[in-house]
Amino acid sequence: MSTATESAGARLVMNIYIGIFVLYLFLPLAVMSAAAFNSFDYPSVTQWHGFTLKWFVALAHDERLLQGLVNSVLVALGVIAVSIPAGLSGALILTRLGQRSGTVLYSVLVSPVLTPGIILGISSLIFWREFGVPGGLFVAVMAQSSFIASYAMLLFLARLQRQDRTLEEAALDLGASHTLVFRRITLPFLAPTCFTAAVVAFLQSFENYNTTVFAIGGEWTLVTEIASRLRFGLSPVINVVGVIFVVLTLVAAVTYVLLKGKPRR
Amino acid sequence: MGSLAQAYGRPLASVIALIAAVWILALILVPLGAMLEQSLWWRDSKGDISLQIDRLYNEIATIQLDRENEADPARQAAFDSALQQKQAEASALEAQELDPPKTYGFANFTRMSSLHLYIFVRTIFYALMVTALALVVCYPVAYVVALASGPRKAIILMVALIVPYAINELLRVYAWLMILDYRGVINGVLQWMGFIDLDAREWIPFLENPSAVFLAMIYTYVLFMVFPMVNTLETLDRNQIEAARDLGASTLRIHRRVIIPHAKPGIAVGCIMTFMLSAGSYSVPAIMTRGQGGDWFSQLVYRQFYESNNWNMGSAYAVSLLVVCTAFILIMMRLFGVGLRDIAK
Repeated sequence: MSTATESAGARLVMNIYIGIFVLYLFLPLAVMSAAAFNSFDYPSVTQWHGFTLKWFVALAHDERLLQGLVNSVLVALGVIAVSIPAGLSGALILTRLGQRSGTVLYSVLVSPVLTPGIILGISSLIFWREFGVPGGLFVAVMAQSSFIASYAMLLFLARLQRQDRTLEEAALDLGASHTLVFRRITLPFLAPTCFTAAVVAFLQSFENYNTTVFAIGGEWTLVTEIASRLRFGLSPVINVVGVIFVVLTLVAAVTYVLLKGKPRR
Repeated sequence: MGSLAQAYGRPLASVIALIAAVWILALILVPLGAMLEQSLWWRDSKGDISLQIDRLYNEIATIQLDRENEADPARQAAFDSALQQKQAEASALEAQELDPPKTYGFANFTRMSSLHLYIFVRTIFYALMVTALALVVCYPVAYVVALASGPRKAIILMVALIVPYAINELLRVYAWLMILDYRGVINGVLQWMGFIDLDAREWIPFLENPSAVFLAMIYTYVLFMVFPMVNTLETLDRNQIEAARDLGASTLRIHRRVIIPHAKPGIAVGCIMTFMLSAGSYSVPAIMTRGQGGDWFSQLVYRQFYESNNWNMGSAYAVSLLVVCTAFILIMMRLFGVGLRDIAK
């Protein structure tokens, strides 16, 4: 394509640059993954004491990390339950509003995305204490939902922009009730986005640290537990968690490429 | 609201409006207001209150003694009333000691110590540096991914970028921790090459240097700069570049006059996200320094909440951070001439 217009030298320089950049991204992850298989007590690749899988076994017996995993999933499910209806409602209202009042509402609903995570955690912590709810899983769900709902709303908005509204109007003209139209036309049209938004919400929630650490109080999720371990010293068990994350992400990415690469071309 | 009811019927429309209202109020606006309110007051705990209470109890004891030694009923009654008055005073003071009155004002903001103010300014400065550096590093990457490679290569490159992006930021920071630690990869390699001896504790303390946080932070947030730029650059018609080249423009000039102007919204969004994330990052500095390097502002905020238990001061710090971030967003939007709708893509 347009590469033809660039000189061979410039292309070489650019390819080298991209290569270095990708190495910069992947090398630390490779180092971290390799250390998970080193039988040395301290996560290291330079002092190699032999291949082992004992850290995987240690992880399987680590009660706090496993409980953290359960808590993370609970919080993520809670976030989905709160943010999908909220995001959908926001998007439905915005598509029906006029330009002027829409902009104000839009700014408010998008603002959490642009707010530093710790601020969201702090404000939720303070707000819920007024009702006697201390920091914990519930407050974490609320704090995370405030911005994840915005992401869901943006996904729904993009989908609704492509909606053929005459379909709903035709159904209404033919005597369908509003509820029936919503259930049989609007929701099916939005169903794929609901799924995407739920996946995005789950991942965002699962990975979140900066908001959660303020809202979580005395409880913990997988990510906050990892963080508090890191403050006291390094253990190869954390590397095992890292390996699992890397492998899962790679599998998902490769599946995505295979699925996307084939049918189109 | 009328058109909403028209489209979905009154009952459904009110449910939708209710959910949106709960989201706006209970999750966004009121919590923010609560934080602002918390930052605007403090409790005066006067040290001399307990002294005053002690003095009152002494007086009460003396009066009681005098009263017991008094035979005259009229004098006794006078003592009794004095006693009652003193006791009421004492219990009022005690109530104040337990629940000091709130005082409203801006003192939480002005009371910030010079050290904390220095850390605040330094954090903002570092966040700006991270943003600028990420922009410089990412521009060529975004250019290649969006314009200078065939569709197949672009997909592969996108995946190569998405994979590290999808891995938890803590684990990515942890990878750097392993590399830079006392017995980390770099020190290990240096030992292998014979420059240092780890057993004699001759390692290079990378982690005690603020640049370690800096490095890990760029690593963690660099991709938030790449993706918005790729998104806008992908919409650029490549014929424009070809036309400029045919008309004799140099590569530098093509970038300056054709590509960068088109990438403007992406650059603005990337800068806003990177700045916001790095200025408010708690994970990277907390893990990388482990108390050995300099603090970041977010760590001060965390300590106000969970160690000093001074929520008022902590809220004031958080509000200050929020104000700076909002100002940055507004300045970038004005500078690059982009609206909020361009940002949230």
